[in-house]
Amino acid sequence: MKSLRDLQESFQRGILAGDDAILDEVNDSAKEKRKVLFGVYRNAYVARLAEILADDYEQLHSYLGDQGFARLVKAYIAANPSDQRSARWFGRHLPAFVREQEIYAKHREVAELAALEKALADAFDGPDAEPLRIDALAALVPEAWPSLVFEPHPTAIRLTFNTNAAEIWSALKTETAPPKPEHLPEPQAVVVWRQDFMARFRPLSAEEAMMWNEAAKGVRFGVLCEMVATFAGEDEAEIRAATYLKNWIDMGILAGFQTR
Amino acid sequence: MTSDKPPYLGFGLGLRPQHYREILADNPAVDWFEVLSENYMIEGGQPLHMLDQIRERYPVVMHGVSLSIASTAPLDMDYLGALKTLAERVSPKWISDHLCWTGVHGVNLHDLLPVPYTEEALDHVVARVGQVQDFLDRRLTLENVSSYVSFGQSEMTEWEFVSEVARRADCWLLFDVNNVYVSAFNHGFSTDDFLHGVPRDRVVQFHVAGHSHEESHIIDTHDHPVCPEVWDFYRETVAHFGPVSIMIERDDNIPPLAELVAELDHARSIAREVGEKRLEAAE
Repeated sequence: MKSLRDLQESFQRGILAGDDAILDEVNDSAKEKRKVLFGVYRNAYVARLAEILADDYEQLHSYLGDQGFARLVKAYIAANPSDQRSARWFGRHLPAFVREQEIYAKHREVAELAALEKALADAFDGPDAEPLRIDALAALVPEAWPSLVFEPHPTAIRLTFNTNAAEIWSALKTETAPPKPEHLPEPQAVVVWRQDFMARFRPLSAEEAMMWNEAAKGVRFGVLCEMVATFAGEDEAEIRAATYLKNWIDMGILAGFQTR
Repeated sequence: MTSDKPPYLGFGLGLRPQHYREILADNPAVDWFEVLSENYMIEGGQPLHMLDQIRERYPVVMHGVSLSIASTAPLDMDYLGALKTLAERVSPKWISDHLCWTGVHGVNLHDLLPVPYTEEALDHVVARVGQVQDFLDRRLTLENVSSYVSFGQSEMTEWEFVSEVARRADCWLLFDVNNVYVSAFNHGFSTDDFLHGVPRDRVVQFHVAGHSHEESHIIDTHDHPVCPEVWDFYRETVAHFGPVSIMIERDDNIPPLAELVAELDHARSIAREVGEKRLEAAE
């Protein structure tokens, strides 16, 4: 008699690798052959994971169409047995997987679309934190401002796109025809976060993205203003920096500040 | 470890995200909710926020799918830690999972895989239930699963196996009415033998659900309303066990909440009829 350990290994190989050795251990029923009955487990494994990926990557599914998405998902499932307690994280490697696929080498927007959907899902159930409110800063004396250091909201994720994937996503989300894929002349910074329980994203201008990247590293506001001045000119640099900061507070993408 | 038997909660539903807002707005006539533990092992956001509010209004039970109690892989202590943390937040009336395994070598097949009914498997499961109960400091509730294959090496019936696990590990049982019906059809045993084969004092919860009939076998899909045959077996189950907390599982093709509440009313009317007959017989 096979040990329980050997039996489970054989059962798992039967599902993952299509190995039929397990059929020696199971019975035909009065109404059906064992191969068909064991096939229920084989089919369910692929079907369940495919359904999870379709839920997690809804716009990618729309963009690739049923056939294209099914082909991608089949390859991903075969290459990535789930190692997570919750199927919620099964699809986390999909953006990287798409990037490595030869057939999408000339369609970079596909991997970027996947990266955007993954970031939105991660922001949706990422850690909680009260967003920083404008009132908290209102009480500060002007001399305190240069030494302020801001803390990004824990759900904030910065992405960089080389294609118009963000525009494609927005069109698909509203069920309108997506624009033609384009390679952008300059990389596009995008920030993804959660506000009022909704996962959101927003493209950032090159200057705002530079300031965000530095702010997220803990650079003081006084230095951020200097960097903004260097980036696009000293004229009204402090006003530009203050405007970006106000945007971030309105977006709920900051969780706090310190004086350093 | 607390030895108290879980309380009778009445007629419940599975908590599904599609229904969060309606539940909070309308306080539907549902006695309790069962939540899928793994769906709330997350860091934050709307699901946990909704769960926090719903658990203030309704009793909640935690039901898992990844404990893998019968696996020969080592117990996943990270998983158990997350389960315990969630239980501290939710204060569930009890915690359940399935008498099955979900994978070995670090793989999760996300399915409730069958166990051979052998002494070896029994010893293995009983020892693991003990470890989990010690860790959680509470008794576990284990559910019989639907299965599509049986093993040549099995030495006892499923109900003998389930009963022995409950007795030796000192845990509770979740009697899944639909799973008994499905497995009885697939393996050609009598639902009555199963019903009368498990210890009444161990059963603390029922599940009913819909399934997909494939002629030669039935697949437990939870994507249909409960069928008349399963309601008939539920009637027998209630007559045999008496009042036990019951919930309807629906995981796919999820209908509006009102449809599930109406289906729950059907369960209530069956239980009421059974109760009335019992009273008449006593008079």
